[in-house]
Amino acid sequence: MADPMRIRAQLKGDVTEVRVLMAHVMETGQRKDSAGNVVPAFHIQEVTATWNGKSVLTAQFGPAVSQNPVMNFSFKGGAKGDKVVVSWTDTKGDKRTDEAVIS
Amino acid sequence: MFRLLNAHSTGYDERLRRCATARVRQVHVAVARLASISSRAALCALSTVTLVSAAPIAANLGRAATPAEIRAWDIDVRPDFKGLPPGSGSVSKGQDVWEAKCESCHGAFGESNEVFTPVIGHTTAADIKTGHVAALRGETVPQRTTLMKLSQLSTLWDYINRAMPWNAPKTLTTDEVYAVTAFILNLGDIVPADFVLSDKNIAETQNKLPNRNGITLKHGMWNVGDKPDAQGSGCMKDCKKAAAIISRMPDYARNAHGNLAEQNRIVGAIRGADTSRSAATELALLTKGASSGNGSMANASSSERRGETAAAANAANTAPLKLAQKHACTACHGVNNKLIGPSFTDIHNKYGANSATTLAAKIKAGGSGIWGSIAMPPQAHVPEPEIKAIAEWLAAGKF
Repeated sequence: MADPMRIRAQLKGDVTEVRVLMAHVMETGQRKDSAGNVVPAFHIQEVTATWNGKSVLTAQFGPAVSQNPVMNFSFKGGAKGDKVVVSWTDTKGDKRTDEAVIS
Repeated sequence: MFRLLNAHSTGYDERLRRCATARVRQVHVAVARLASISSRAALCALSTVTLVSAAPIAANLGRAATPAEIRAWDIDVRPDFKGLPPGSGSVSKGQDVWEAKCESCHGAFGESNEVFTPVIGHTTAADIKTGHVAALRGETVPQRTTLMKLSQLSTLWDYINRAMPWNAPKTLTTDEVYAVTAFILNLGDIVPADFVLSDKNIAETQNKLPNRNGITLKHGMWNVGDKPDAQGSGCMKDCKKAAAIISRMPDYARNAHGNLAEQNRIVGAIRGADTSRSAATELALLTKGASSGNGSMANASSSERRGETAAAANAANTAPLKLAQKHACTACHGVNNKLIGPSFTDIHNKYGANSATTLAAKIKAGGSGIWGSIAMPPQAHVPEPEIKAIAEWLAAGKF
């Protein structure tokens, strides 16, 4: 099981700003280890975010995204106390889902 | 010539007269020992020279520091937490302070590499157990973060307390420093989200630092008998008298990052070289300063520099630039060059001449997104008239 995400969701006016820090090695598949063998690709493929069960973001991540990626996005609506749920799936099929309350 | 002699002899008589009354001074004792066989007049003549040139000045130089001044200066916190003022701060309060004052440079999670190297990252639960950061060995991580290297919690507390935020050091309250320290530790998964750091529990929190056992004391800096930290190869005898400069930055590249002299924090005395002029000019000024005889090289050249700037620029236009330097605007903004933020010239070109009010509001509130993702922190601590003066100067565009 991967390390938990850090999620910060804040209401600013009528827009909810969400910042997510995901813990993942994000191997590109193009690096070689000290023995010269290619390190196989291993990265997050899909990220989704929902607010009160409604999808507000879907993103496809590739090998160009850095290790431990940070993602900021915002959506209209949201109220203090609502739940924002973010989940990702990586190339090995591992999943991680975390949630935050809008403050 | 005659007048000069005359004035000198009057001064001499005056000194001789004073000598009779001031002989008990310590400075005379030393001279008296040297010249004990001289006549009294000669002794006085000798001693008056010392008296006039040193004693009255030295006697009136400075005063004892008051206890309040010593308290304001003596803020260091030691590894055993001696010097740590009492107080406490929670992780959640630290998050509020972080988002207001730290996030614009360090990122929401302390992970940002945009302005400074990351604060958080690459420490694991296993590191917290062993007290050694595994990622410090080998080349598995691209760079070292603050939490990877930190071995003494007092260092983190003291550093935040004395040097942060970058644009307004020493403005955080004691409790805010505790809170921000707690928040950083929480970001590193060292303490839980409901943790409250205080002077009471900081010592046990120290025992959770990932790199607490990474410090070594078995070297010359701590113990003279151990292996020295530095291999001194400096010349000790028959050394070259003067250094010869054999290469220097070419003039076209000297100013590539803007004038270094303008890009330093206002704290401390160290300033970069004035790169707005050629190395030869700078060197000529330095040599001139050194050969003038009295005073240090730096003093001579900086007064030289001040004189030149004042002569070259209109006084009305330099006053707001001085303000901008005073409030550390120039740490991020150059006059003509883009540094961390846009140059003053670019700001003027974008907003035009009627923008003083807009710019004043922007300086006060800070912001991000217009010139890139790196945010400018709010400058609410700068007095209103000075914000106005800087904004009008930017709008006028006469730099």
